[in-house]
Amino acid sequence: MILSTFKKENQGFMRSGRIRIALLTVLLLIAVAFWISSKHYEATNRMYDSAKTSERANWDGQGEKNPHSAAHYGTYAFKPKYPLSLIDQGVDKYVGSSIFLEAHARHEAQFSEAADQTGLARFGNLSPDFILLFIMPLLIILLGYNSFTKEHEMGTITLLRSEGASFYKLALGKWLSLFFPILVITSLLFLGAGLVLSQLPDYGVFQWSALGDLYGVYLVYYIIFTNLVLFISAKSKRSGVSLVLSLSLWILSCLALPKAASNVAGHLHPYPTRQEFAAEVLKDKENGLDGHNPWNKKAQTLQAEVLAEYGVDSLHQLPFNFDAYRMQKSEEHEAEIYYKHYDKLKEQYRKQAEVYDGLAMVSPYLATRFLSMSLAHTDYATHWGFADAAEQYRVATQAFLNGNFAENSKYGEWGYRADADFWKELPPFEYDPPELSTIVSQNQRKLWVMALWCIGSFALLLFTTKKL
Amino acid sequence: MIITDNLTKKYGGHLALDRLNLQVKEGEIYCLLGANGAGKTTTINLLLGFLEPSSGSAFINQVNVKENAQATKKFLAYIPENLMLYPSLTALENLDYFSGIAGKKLGQDELRNYLSEAGLQEEAFGRRISTYSKGMRQKVGIAIALAKHAKVLLLDEPTSGLDPQASHEFGRLLRQLSNLGVATLMATHDLFRAKEVATKIGIMKNGQLKREFYANEISLAELEETYLGLMQPKAAAL
Repeated sequence: MILSTFKKENQGFMRSGRIRIALLTVLLLIAVAFWISSKHYEATNRMYDSAKTSERANWDGQGEKNPHSAAHYGTYAFKPKYPLSLIDQGVDKYVGSSIFLEAHARHEAQFSEAADQTGLARFGNLSPDFILLFIMPLLIILLGYNSFTKEHEMGTITLLRSEGASFYKLALGKWLSLFFPILVITSLLFLGAGLVLSQLPDYGVFQWSALGDLYGVYLVYYIIFTNLVLFISAKSKRSGVSLVLSLSLWILSCLALPKAASNVAGHLHPYPTRQEFAAEVLKDKENGLDGHNPWNKKAQTLQAEVLAEYGVDSLHQLPFNFDAYRMQKSEEHEAEIYYKHYDKLKEQYRKQAEVYDGLAMVSPYLATRFLSMSLAHTDYATHWGFADAAEQYRVATQAFLNGNFAENSKYGEWGYRADADFWKELPPFEYDPPELSTIVSQNQRKLWVMALWCIGSFALLLFTTKKL
Repeated sequence: MIITDNLTKKYGGHLALDRLNLQVKEGEIYCLLGANGAGKTTTINLLLGFLEPSSGSAFINQVNVKENAQATKKFLAYIPENLMLYPSLTALENLDYFSGIAGKKLGQDELRNYLSEAGLQEEAFGRRISTYSKGMRQKVGIAIALAKHAKVLLLDEPTSGLDPQASHEFGRLLRQLSNLGVATLMATHDLFRAKEVATKIGIMKNGQLKREFYANEISLAELEETYLGLMQPKAAAL
């Protein structure tokens, strides 16, 4: 009976003009979104390649120059678009793709796509993640809202009951028939994405296993929606009621709760404003070592300590350039200040993430959204990882420059110039996003929430209704 | 095949069926006559297991309906007043599906044979049910009963709204099933059709079986007279 029902329902789907139009519309939307996204992915990564090469050429071609001038001349750390961002663009659009690295200051990522767009960007883009997260559940609703109610409305329920049809078998047959088109569409999308990504130049590490995991996350999301839509249909007396209830579930789960979650998380664990953050950093800096100010109290202490350590009376007698040494110490001190304050931000982020995890118990959308972004390397955690790697690279670059300055000149010798070839010795910036295993272990709670939703919604569908 | 033993159904204070005792044997067609609200449909719903009796028992092929309604389903077929099938499916597809529910996996030739036996024209087999008349749908219902080899057929006003020719054709099909040994219980208002097809006729009023006789023992005129006499309010009869 399960397979008969599956076959019968699919025959009904294929013969319904309403459903054929819906399926074709979704397929068309997916094709367009996918095409736009792949073009965008290619264009962004071409820009990334070009900017990275040109910026490195600028750095390498500085000619003879004082290393501290080079430190202020600075360089950039660029974030590539990772392969799975083709499917989920996550927060990439809003967080910036490059960080300016210079002496004394840690900068935020800049040049976000959203900043380059007009106010119309508020309407969002037609992207595969939009289709996957919002449109596909709507399609499930459209296909399934009257799965059971139509049996009452057409009167076929009487014949089904008289024939002794089992609710479980009927429900499983309907479940399969509702899930089948969703499975086909999702599989086509992911297979297409995999084939495209495996053909494109390798800007990041593309793994079929990561794509498979992302595919699995979305399938579980659709299983949950399929269960809930069928449950509502089984419990409703009329199709209209079922449609309204299913749409309400979609609005709450996919639109209202995520926005409410953002408000709640921001309210409970607010980030400082940019001004407050800058003021706190500045306060700590003022109380610390100033590399450019020899009369600074901490600088005086450092000077006294170094003179004592080397057993000399004058900075000129030191075997290195104390100005460069002091600047390096100042960099190290300032880096600590930045780590401290950014760690506070990250702690707020972690607490906000806990709020989202909690609310994911009410909305499967939240868990899916965050898992999807994590697997696609387009979440905040990956961005933090990139920003931290850029900061470590900045600190290492300053040590590299100050080291050259200190070792190759004497105190007060501000006219020192490093060789034109020296800059090439600086290793390029590299950042590897988290491995799949790390992502899975970092998102265990969300995976559990998804599993609970999946099992719970199945139980709701199959065990709360015994009779037709 | 069908036995009711003091079968009673109450809705709150209202007695819808009052200690009904009837028996339909193999190959018999039992027509239940009565006005609206007499208890005919309640009887059928109790036999189908759609309702639970307040007291008494119903048996289909010796299986107690209340105790094991699911087990009785494999023996019986039901055709309501308006048999509703899946409108976007063809007759063949509907028959295939409902036979599947009954656990029968039939080939296309078998399905076609059953539809033919039920009197459906071959050109209609592949047409969607949405284009069918009520009479044609009833024939698909008969085909479903034939396909599952039902031993018991329950019919609730099956000829209501059918034109005389379709109604006559339906009667012919019932007799055909009867010859195959199917026990049929048919609730109807149609005295003429009841007289034409029934083996036994029962007349119900206010949930009670008032009269019961073999169809060949009574003429249509006597049946009509008896029926109308029973339907008269007591005061008027006086």
